[in-house]
Amino acid sequence: MDPKITELSQLFERFKAAFVRKDFDTCAKFLSQLKVALTEFKSLPPLFEETPNAIQERTLARDIYEHAVFLSVKIEDQEALERDFFQLKPYYTDTHGLQPSTQEQPILGLNLLRLLVQNRIAEFHTELELLPSSALENPCIKHAIELEQSFMEGAYNRVLSARQTVPHETYVYFMDLLAKTVRDEIAGCSEKAYDSLSINDARQMLLFSSDQDLVKYIEEEHPEWEIRNGFVFFQRAKESTPCKEIPSLQLINQTLSYARELERIV
Amino acid sequence: MTQDVEMKEQSVPSNSVSSTAPSAFQQLKEIAALIEIGAYSREVRRIVRAIRSTIQLRRKLKASVISAFLNFVLVPGSEAHSRLSSYLPKEDVHDMEVDTASSTTQVPVKHSLPELEIYCYLLVLKFLVDQKRYNEAKACSSAGIARVKNLNRRTVDVIASRLYFYYSLSYELTGDLAEIRGNLLALHRIATLRHDELGQETLLNLLLRNYLHYNLYDQAEKLRSKAPRFEAHSNQQFCRYLFYLGKIRTIQLEYTDAKDSLLQAARKAPASALGFRVQCNKWAVIVRLLLGEIPERTVFMQKGMENALRPYFELTNAVRIGDLKLFKTVAERFASTFSADRTNNLIVRLRHNVIRTGLRNISISYSQISLADVAKKLKLDSANPVADAESIVAKAIRDGAIDATLDHANGRMISKETGDIYSTNEPQIAFNSRIAFCLNMHNEAVRALRFPPNSHKEKESAEKRRERQQQEQELAKHIAEEDDDEF
Repeated sequence: MDPKITELSQLFERFKAAFVRKDFDTCAKFLSQLKVALTEFKSLPPLFEETPNAIQERTLARDIYEHAVFLSVKIEDQEALERDFFQLKPYYTDTHGLQPSTQEQPILGLNLLRLLVQNRIAEFHTELELLPSSALENPCIKHAIELEQSFMEGAYNRVLSARQTVPHETYVYFMDLLAKTVRDEIAGCSEKAYDSLSINDARQMLLFSSDQDLVKYIEEEHPEWEIRNGFVFFQRAKESTPCKEIPSLQLINQTLSYARELERIV
Repeated sequence: MTQDVEMKEQSVPSNSVSSTAPSAFQQLKEIAALIEIGAYSREVRRIVRAIRSTIQLRRKLKASVISAFLNFVLVPGSEAHSRLSSYLPKEDVHDMEVDTASSTTQVPVKHSLPELEIYCYLLVLKFLVDQKRYNEAKACSSAGIARVKNLNRRTVDVIASRLYFYYSLSYELTGDLAEIRGNLLALHRIATLRHDELGQETLLNLLLRNYLHYNLYDQAEKLRSKAPRFEAHSNQQFCRYLFYLGKIRTIQLEYTDAKDSLLQAARKAPASALGFRVQCNKWAVIVRLLLGEIPERTVFMQKGMENALRPYFELTNAVRIGDLKLFKTVAERFASTFSADRTNNLIVRLRHNVIRTGLRNISISYSQISLADVAKKLKLDSANPVADAESIVAKAIRDGAIDATLDHANGRMISKETGDIYSTNEPQIAFNSRIAFCLNMHNEAVRALRFPPNSHKEKESAEKRRERQQQEQELAKHIAEEDDDEF
């Protein structure tokens, strides 16, 4: 076997050992070394030349990037995750004779989840279009799709209960982030929908464990809510004054444009 | 020119094939003459007319006619001639003899215009595609494109753009679209460098079609946003562009833009392009459903489209009623149609709209209703329907879909009174959008008026005026007929 490949595999083994030990700093160091070594191989994207060891090199490179993705989840670095995923993507789309990876589906699901958490729904759907319909049956991807649906519909309790049914342990990080987003969403909806809520109900809906947490959250995020007599009042008085003013500027603009266009008609 | 006239008179009596062939041959020769005039006077419009006449000829094209035409136009023994003739089957040698006899009786004054050469490539390509010999069509079109790359004349552009179209079509029909992506990009670059606007437009559309074929919406959007844009030269290319744009926007969840593009594409498309209009309408229906508005029945009842649009009609019904169960059954029943149209993922997104519509119906009909009843009416099938219903209603209130409040303690939803709409600004806004649309239409019509290019420079002699009037009559006749307008 090519000496460069053997060297690389050995480095990779050390990286994996450090990963299992949860020694993330050494992992990161090894990863940078691995990435630099990978640039010497010509058979990888974007060149895609056919060297004799092409398949081996590509499989190795793909494994390295997959582990890089998992590492970035562990160290909770979303930008690194995005970069590594983009580097990994050509290995999935232009396979050129590689065996399908077992980690492909969880990683694709992970990426979808990341887009959902960052509220990039348009990109979520674009990515979804690229998947063949057979992939949609896979539990990892199905999980992300159902989450997105529940999120759009507003059935947030389903979102939170889905946390229990994660198909892969790396998803837990994103579910926690999602919980925070969901809490903000629930707060926004409750503000508009309810006149007032009892403290107990508010605590339950916003998923706090104690009243103090609830009070602290309200003070930080929503200072306009009032807490009186064990009830939380959402400010709604300002909406009830009917707008009697005429949007004069807009009307003037419109009428002027009509006059201008009519003049142009010969 | 005089030689052409002699040629016509000679070949009519000496050609012994069936009576349709001479007339097709004659028409081809007339077209060749048109192209020659157009090339010499550098008027692109004549070439456009030549192409349009070819469309009507398409059905009459037979191998014998084409080989006769090739012999007439191209210097026999030249590279192009031998290459193109190899694609045509050697039919009646008898015919060939007769034709070669008649053509050698006069001194061939063939300047072998490049336009004519590329036109021959186009004819052979159409013939091959009609005969479903796609692999040969691939080879022929690649050769044609290699030839076009060396030419830099505006008059060739019109013919070249048709050539690109058939190039892409032959690859698509054999399933190899991804191969030519690099070539199409290179051609687009060349067309931009040469300021060949029609070629740019055609190639951009072909590239978008290529990307969308493989669902690469991201790359398609990146290309489209960076490519230079200008006033459309060809109505058909513009329609295609609008359709692809609408598709991209739909996937990116920008439904309002998508709706405008798709409806405009459906409206501008010529009446004979039925397949295209059906596709536009399918996507337009889904986008309107996703926006929350229900398309009217007349949309589905348009002539010739009823069968194709039937699944979408049933889908609209389910969304209008707001019944989740019905929606699911319809989606499953027509799943194969939807996946063929690639609208599967969009249908999945519609589930949310079904719930919203159902909720809206409930909120309008009830002044107060318990959340358990809401869950039952919406047929929410989940573990905890009441809590689901509560959060869904809360989100709908926040998004402004319904006007209500929730009472958590009693678990009820209380709808608010809808005020008098005429006392608000709503009518003004609706009127404004309609007025803007009409004025826009008027401006576009004015801009679309075409005048012949040098008309303000020279005084018209009586003869020229007659010729111009005759041309205008012909043009009006063409537009009125719109017969078999090619797509």
